[in-house]
Amino acid sequence: MSQPTLVVENIVRTFGGLVAVDGVDLTLEQGEIVGVIGPNGAGKSTLINVISGVYLPTSGSISFRGEDVTNLPAHERSRRGIGRTYQLIHPFMDLNCIENVMVGALFARKLPMRSARLVASELCELVGLADPSRRVSELTILEVKKMEIAHALAADPRVLFLDETMAGLNIDETNEIIKTVRRVTEEKQLAVGVVEHVMHVIRDLTHRVIVLDGGRLIAAGPYSEVAQNEQVIRAYLGGDV
Amino acid sequence: MAVRRLELVMTKWNRPRYWVIGGSSLAVAVLLLIFRPYVLISGLQSAGLYAAIALPMALILGIVGIVNLAHGEFLMVGAYLAYFFNATMGVGPLASIVPVVVLMVALGIGTYRVSIRKVLAAPELNQLLLTFGISMVLSQLVNLIATSQPRSVSMSYATVSATIGSTSFGVFDFVYDVLAVLILVGLQLFLKRTRSGKAAVAVGQNPTGARLVGINVDGTYLLVFSIAIGILGILGPIFLVRHSVFPMVGGAYTMKSFSLVAMAGIGNLTAILWCSLALGMAEAFIKSFQGYGDWGDIVFFLMIIVVILVRARRTS
Amino acid sequence: MNQRSAIIILIVVGLFAVTLPLYAGPYPQSIGQMVFLYMSLAVSWDMLLRSGQISFGIAGFFGLGAYTSVLTVLDLKLPPLLSILAGGILAGVVALVVGFVVLRLRGMYFAIVTLALAEIFRVIINNWASLTGGPEGKVLSSVIFGGDARLLYWLTLGVAVLTLLMSELFRRTRIHFALTSIRDNEVVASSSGVNITAYLTIAFAVTSALQGITGAAYAQVYGFVAPDGSFSTDFTLLPLAMALLGGVYGSAGPVIGALLLGVASEFLKLYIPYGHRIVYGLVIVVVILFLPRGIAGIVRRKRAPREGGHA
Repeated sequence: MSQPTLVVENIVRTFGGLVAVDGVDLTLEQGEIVGVIGPNGAGKSTLINVISGVYLPTSGSISFRGEDVTNLPAHERSRRGIGRTYQLIHPFMDLNCIENVMVGALFARKLPMRSARLVASELCELVGLADPSRRVSELTILEVKKMEIAHALAADPRVLFLDETMAGLNIDETNEIIKTVRRVTEEKQLAVGVVEHVMHVIRDLTHRVIVLDGGRLIAAGPYSEVAQNEQVIRAYLGGDV
Repeated sequence: MAVRRLELVMTKWNRPRYWVIGGSSLAVAVLLLIFRPYVLISGLQSAGLYAAIALPMALILGIVGIVNLAHGEFLMVGAYLAYFFNATMGVGPLASIVPVVVLMVALGIGTYRVSIRKVLAAPELNQLLLTFGISMVLSQLVNLIATSQPRSVSMSYATVSATIGSTSFGVFDFVYDVLAVLILVGLQLFLKRTRSGKAAVAVGQNPTGARLVGINVDGTYLLVFSIAIGILGILGPIFLVRHSVFPMVGGAYTMKSFSLVAMAGIGNLTAILWCSLALGMAEAFIKSFQGYGDWGDIVFFLMIIVVILVRARRTS
Repeated sequence: MNQRSAIIILIVVGLFAVTLPLYAGPYPQSIGQMVFLYMSLAVSWDMLLRSGQISFGIAGFFGLGAYTSVLTVLDLKLPPLLSILAGGILAGVVALVVGFVVLRLRGMYFAIVTLALAEIFRVIINNWASLTGGPEGKVLSSVIFGGDARLLYWLTLGVAVLTLLMSELFRRTRIHFALTSIRDNEVVASSSGVNITAYLTIAFAVTSALQGITGAAYAQVYGFVAPDGSFSTDFTLLPLAMALLGGVYGSAGPVIGALLLGVASEFLKLYIPYGHRIVYGLVIVVVILFLPRGIAGIVRRKRAPREGGHA
């Protein structure tokens, strides 16, 4: 493969005195699924927020498909192909399911209304959502999560970050999402970053993993290796094992 | 203990920003003293008025979390109540403070129970619209009862004046400065030293957390709201002494109070005093120019625009 | 009610509204004029509300439009109809300029600044006596169309129709998606590609321009402007009450509210000359407490019984 799709270099993000992300590097290539793990408060979500443009980094750089996007606002990054889902469910409650999905197609891809609706309809099928004209309040949790993924895909991203998508799902539902993500990554040749706490998802879904603790990168590699890493175990369990 | 506190104060004042602001304010004050002493005095007096009115709004905003668009209208009602006591029973405004406060607190409790409490969980839009509606109801109720004719009282002590050098000025309005400081100190003591005050601070920072440790959140909101309206009940009669009142008189004070609270930052009561000094002085300064006096009413707006732009620059 | 019956009702009501002058006298027509002007304000207020922002500054842009119209007719000899357009353009341009600062704000900050804005416009107009005639205001030598009641009626109807067309434009194009997503969750909207600043600016400028056109039409119909009259809080209070009563986030609600309250206000003014405005304040309070989605909300709820969780 040619150059990586996403190159994140030495990102630091502070909030007043708190250093949430402390010099993290990350690269993503097309077709690969990378896990971002670490204990609570390790800075995973902040990292995703910086990459997607919700926050600007205090220092460091982000380059996407060769272009420096470090200082671009969020909607510009979305238009260039950086996509994400959100940890807490945040659909647009006043739009119905398919309309939620259409937003990305309308604004990130700037499609006309009719095409946007078609694209949204196809994506709902792709993720397995039946009857997308329903209101968001009528969807099950699993369906909302699928809608979130479809919503993120509607913007036609080249890189997609899934931020704790599995939270609150049971085993069967989690497996369904795993299958959906694999299918979508294949079909669209995406570069995917998965922030997760559910370890079997990381084990089954990702090609490799980076581990954050206290804002710093403490390990990287395939899951099987990282899971044995003493520092990682200590970070999760705290102190001596 | 006192040494520690002094240390804290000193470290705070060691920040260069404070020296710049402090120094330039002192320079401005000296210049005003030399060239336009009346501006200094009048500015100080209106600063006190604005600060005194803004503090209760800051209290409600910081703890209950809603902006009361009817704030100025409550002040107006307090003033009208004092006028009523004066017109029907010949009681002077200062003497009527106690009954007015009692009535105002009752009004505050009633308003909270009937309406405000119900929108605390609703989106901010609903809260804004509700208090806007309340402000209209209050001003129109007064309009209905007392018509729109301006009302005033004339008390002998209202016109007491003093003379320093060649400048003579009214003395009564300094009461606002005293009141502003008293209200600030009183609120600080309440919030930091009393049990219900500390509970109120907790509620303001984290209502759910406060509820979990057993604090009666609704009772706290009621208490804080009543205190704020009660303070306006004190200010209303005093306001009447030297201002004529009409149903819409409150609106300007709502806006200026909010500007001060926004400038000072939510939760910062002391800064309201400094900001009100700036506002009072700036207004008085503009008003001191013959023919441009009416433009003074824009000052608060320009100040808030500047604050917005400065803050926006800082975040980007 | 389904699409077909809605269209039929629309056509019937529309025909009735348009043909009213042919069989009704000047008094109903003058009521109609006020109703249409307030309807336009209520609808345009709702349009901005859809982005999640409340404006308390309707009276400000209304007054600016009114003054622009009168001043361009008196000083620049502009034809009255054109002056109405000028009123809208000026209001829109001022909104763009002011918006650069003000649209950084959200929620209560934005709302109160718009309240202050209206007051600032009034103060400026009041003090700039050389241009505006100061506190006395200005009088037109003649009312537009020579005061022909029917033409005045159709003019104000036209303003209302224009606003409704813009409202439907906001509803049926991607603007609806932009404003709704901004209202529901700005952060997610932004990372979905919505340019928040651009859309808020469009909404603010367009609605302010519409309010300016309404103010200009008002000035031409009644023939005078004055700081207290043209910037009266009535022009903020009534539209809010109407939109809330009728139901927000749509065109139908403010129209219903304007019809109900507009007609009612005529009678209120007769029976409670001082303080009849209290009714509008009460309407706002009651609607917020008990019926936040207004009358249209009741209708919508009856139409879609399969509700799940959120109202």
